[in-house]
Amino acid sequence: MSARILICDDEQEILDITQMILEDEGYQVTSVSDSRTVEKIVETERPDILLIDLWMPGIPGDQIVRNLRCNNAVKDLPVVVVSASRAGKETAFSAGADDFLAKPYEIEALIDMVSKHLNKGQKLIASAG
Amino acid sequence: MDDFLSQLPNIDHTDIRLFAAAVNASSNGVVITDNLLPDQPIIYCNQAFEKLTGYRRNEIIGHNCRFLQSDDRNQEQRKSIREAIDQGEHCQVEIRNYKKSGEMFWNELMISPVKDHAGTVTHFIGIQNDITRRKTAESELAKEKEHLEERVVERTQDLQESEAYLASIVETIRESLVVLDEHIKVLSVNEHFCKFFKLKDSEIIGRELFSLGDNGQWDIPELKDLLLNILPHNNPFEGFELENEFPKIGRKLLVLNARQVILKGKYQDRILLAIEDITERREIEQRKEDFISIASHEMKTPLTSIKGNIQLLERRAQRNNDAAYLEGFGKTAKSIARLERLIYDLLDVSKIQSGNIEFHYTTFNFDQLVAEAVSGVQVTTQTHHLVISGAAGTEVSADYGRLEQVLINLLSNAVKYSPNGDRVKIHVSKVSNYVKVAITDAGVGIHQRDQKRIFERFYRAEKITEKFPGVGIGLYVSSQIIKEHKGTLWVESEEGKGSVFNFTIPINLNK
Repeated sequence: MSARILICDDEQEILDITQMILEDEGYQVTSVSDSRTVEKIVETERPDILLIDLWMPGIPGDQIVRNLRCNNAVKDLPVVVVSASRAGKETAFSAGADDFLAKPYEIEALIDMVSKHLNKGQKLIASAG
Repeated sequence: MDDFLSQLPNIDHTDIRLFAAAVNASSNGVVITDNLLPDQPIIYCNQAFEKLTGYRRNEIIGHNCRFLQSDDRNQEQRKSIREAIDQGEHCQVEIRNYKKSGEMFWNELMISPVKDHAGTVTHFIGIQNDITRRKTAESELAKEKEHLEERVVERTQDLQESEAYLASIVETIRESLVVLDEHIKVLSVNEHFCKFFKLKDSEIIGRELFSLGDNGQWDIPELKDLLLNILPHNNPFEGFELENEFPKIGRKLLVLNARQVILKGKYQDRILLAIEDITERREIEQRKEDFISIASHEMKTPLTSIKGNIQLLERRAQRNNDAAYLEGFGKTAKSIARLERLIYDLLDVSKIQSGNIEFHYTTFNFDQLVAEAVSGVQVTTQTHHLVISGAAGTEVSADYGRLEQVLINLLSNAVKYSPNGDRVKIHVSKVSNYVKVAITDAGVGIHQRDQKRIFERFYRAEKITEKFPGVGIGLYVSSQIIKEHKGTLWVESEEGKGSVFNFTIPINLNK
């Protein structure tokens, strides 16, 4: 079964293109534009990776990452922050994100980053198993 | 002399001889005129008179004294002499007389009548004294005095003018000025101070600065610190920022310059305080920064979508090997890359200007940086070959991302401005404790007059503007980045032949 990716961004056009790119690569993608629902969806859907924006109405991305890291059930979820803010990199890492991708991104970079973090997870599971 | 003496009857000749010798030896000129003879001729003169006037005795005896006159016969003093002679009285004058040589001399002349028993004036005795030197000195002194008085008047006027001038400057500037004595009491303020702080002269003058206002609003710890602790050791002190809630005018952000007068004299130890209100300017700067930051963020969103869609379509076209589409996507990708760079540059300019540009220093292999930047630009051009020669062979501590930005900017320029070229040469070297990069193109080159200015913000060389699009910030940003690294960025170029852009940065910034 292909990996499941959750994307959260307040801009619909970003959600659309990111979803298309990743679906082209064969992933199952769920997108959400309301930041307030993300944590709930993570808990119920249990995606393999989360791509999340920083500046959003509702709850800012870095706050969501912090909350997830405190939630035992999902604290190991790989999270990549995707933001147009250059200073976002530091914000992302200090909140506990696994990686950072600057917008506008190269789609190669997006694909590589997603697969890198999914493989890490696979290896972890493999080594644990 | 003997003739003359022999004419005097009934006198002891020995005494007379002594008197005569004394008179003759006198350094004052002495003449005697006979008042009873027509035209009062001189009947006696001593040697001093001969010496004084330059005339010989034989040219003197028998003449009236007027031979000492010249053209200026209308001197007032002559009238006095005339009157004295007519009245048979004593008289003393200072008169201009003339020597035989024609040379003027000031003569202090004393005339005394000699009367017989009947009271008739029989002779006049004239005693002459050359006071030319004294007169000259006096007149020079008088002139000097006059000149001095003129100068005092002039100087006073100058001072008044410059005082008025300074006062008008002080009153005109749009900055508040306060003069304090060494106990921080206010001696004077300019009009702007009163207007800005909405205070009256009477509420200010003579009071301690910290006691201004009604409820100690001027009792500001930072201001006390500046005037009492900082200024005595750092005089003058400039650019002290202070934010405070003031009565009537509210919260203000101020910049203060303070200076204590060290010049010896009556103004010594006075403190001058210039206060500039930058509340509004700072707000505008902040708003501008926020605007650019938000605007560039907002531009990135559609750009992300466009770029993603184009690249996705390009990947699909690649799979289907669709050459026509691929060409179109390639061109679009180039435009997107340019737009993206422009947004970053704009953001950088704004950051540089506000001093908010951040640098993250790490240690990395310099040659690797160059190789990556070159390959990054190589993929954007099919017309030019980017060729690296030489090597730095060292690690540097610098901002990787920012230096990559400089390299990409210089390399893209080299490609862009050499439309007829097919090669861009990159030479890397280590020079002393610096690394150096030289990027050579065979492009349009840069006119001498533009070579210095191309690193200015928004400057674009004259001929470039029509042929090549751009806004003129890339080189500005690059030069600022290199400057931040304590290196230099410069160009050598000849119009029509091409350009070499060079930069150096120290291998270890901290050393």
